[in-house]
Amino acid sequence: MNDATRPVVHGLVNSGILQRLFLTLGGFSIRVSHAAVGLILPLGVLGLWQFAVIHEWIAVQLLPPPELVWQSLQDLWESGDLTHHLSVSLSRIGWSVLIGSSIGWLLGFSVALSKTARAYLYPSFEVFSQFPVVGWIPLLIIFLGIDEGLKIAAISIAVVVPVTVATYKGISNIPRNLLEVAQVYRFTRSQVLLRVVLPAALPSLFSGFRQGIMQAWLALVFVELLASSEGVGYLMGYARLLMQLDLVFVGVIVIGVIGVTLDLSLSFLESRLQSWLHTVHGEAK
Amino acid sequence: MAHAATLEIKNLNKQYKVRGESLPVLENISLSIKPGEFVSIVGSSGCGKSTLLKLIIGLEDDYQGELLLDGSRIVGTSLERGIVFQEHRLFPWLTVEQNISIGLLNNTKFSEEEKRKSVQEHIELVGLKDFAGAYPYQLSGGMSQRVAIARALVNRPEVLLLDEPFGALDAFTRAFLQQELQRIWEKEGITMIQVTHDVEEAVYLGDRVVVMQPRPGRIKRIIDVPLPRERNRSSAEFIAIKEEVLREFSHTADASAGLIEKAASNEEYSHSNELSYQA
Repeated sequence: MNDATRPVVHGLVNSGILQRLFLTLGGFSIRVSHAAVGLILPLGVLGLWQFAVIHEWIAVQLLPPPELVWQSLQDLWESGDLTHHLSVSLSRIGWSVLIGSSIGWLLGFSVALSKTARAYLYPSFEVFSQFPVVGWIPLLIIFLGIDEGLKIAAISIAVVVPVTVATYKGISNIPRNLLEVAQVYRFTRSQVLLRVVLPAALPSLFSGFRQGIMQAWLALVFVELLASSEGVGYLMGYARLLMQLDLVFVGVIVIGVIGVTLDLSLSFLESRLQSWLHTVHGEAK
Repeated sequence: MAHAATLEIKNLNKQYKVRGESLPVLENISLSIKPGEFVSIVGSSGCGKSTLLKLIIGLEDDYQGELLLDGSRIVGTSLERGIVFQEHRLFPWLTVEQNISIGLLNNTKFSEEEKRKSVQEHIELVGLKDFAGAYPYQLSGGMSQRVAIARALVNRPEVLLLDEPFGALDAFTRAFLQQELQRIWEKEGITMIQVTHDVEEAVYLGDRVVVMQPRPGRIKRIIDVPLPRERNRSSAEFIAIKEEVLREFSHTADASAGLIEKAASNEEYSHSNELSYQA
């Protein structure tokens, strides 16, 4: 900052706007430089890929050149196929997250709030949560066939587990002290629930929801690879059968990009929620 | 001005069950507290002083003997009895004003207008008018504790219990809040019972100082503090009473009693207010 700009800057700093802007920019540039470091490896891999293609280390049928993958991605996008498969996949995610987190919240709340429910349900749930989603699929196929029901059910199972665990832990970690305050002011059960339990557990509820969505995304690809006629996972499986490996790579890229976008936007929302609630569990001991 | 209550404790006994065995925590406590009186309870850790407050506030109700507020038996919590804990225990997602208002949530005696007025009055009482919209994380420890006091008083309870309310604060803030609490007590005219491990605080604020001894928790002695307020902490009478209270500790037959006695005779020690006693 040179001397000429100082008075102007001072005025702005006093108003607090510039100060905040600097902080934001400072934080941003640090984050950008971190991100830049993180880009070295993928760019290196891309370079190696291109290099391998040029020198024909691996047959082109097995390792398509990056340009071809990019070209296929564009073609697929323009023809509307990609959007179609994506929208099918995303609607599966949507339904599964809706069903899975409803069940997870219901289960988490009842297990956390009622000793009886905990005694009856939690041991079974713990065993249930040990099974990977894949393990359920053969059983689910018998009962649900290989249609939409199977996919929604399998992905929902992947959502239920993290949502239930986070809800249960979030509620049981509410400081006892705050519950005593509620008791001193004679809160009714519903007041305790709405005014203490819910706000205190909200960050945990959201974090469970976020984990649920991410688990759903992982399960989705698997389920679609296994049995489907639409969706991003299907696209990849089908392309592999036809030896169109450029399309397989397109699938990998799309899954990665969407996964990262989902995770980043959810963690952004989560941090906003936390600062909005000012919920520091340690502070309210 | 709120109505002040008479609190009658008669032959109170309390046990905890530890692995099937019953462990006495309070034994034969009898104490009668007059309306508008300020009673300090001091004692080392494990003497059951916090348990006593928990019983009076109604967070625990498994006891033998009698606990009477204005002649009627105490059952469960009530808006007639307020409490300030050692930690502020404010809801971090609510502002100062909302935290104080939450005390009135189930108050059916006040009209909406009276509630609003009571909240404003108590925010002013604890001197936090400019911070009504602030969140707990924006407040210092002393300010948070003042909010907790306002929340406890907003229902205009008959008796206010204080469980080591200033224990976690620094010496300056503590001295200031002791003065503040005395002012509030004089203004509200209600009965206050304060548990503390700070002998000077007990003598400074109390009309009487109840000394308790541990295992099981019993009342060892009750010492009157017949000094006019505002009390001068360095006056000879004040120091004499403080020494008298401290002497009660040194008589406590316990492994660490010798240590306390040595500390009490130590010049340096008499300057510090805190009786840190770890059994």
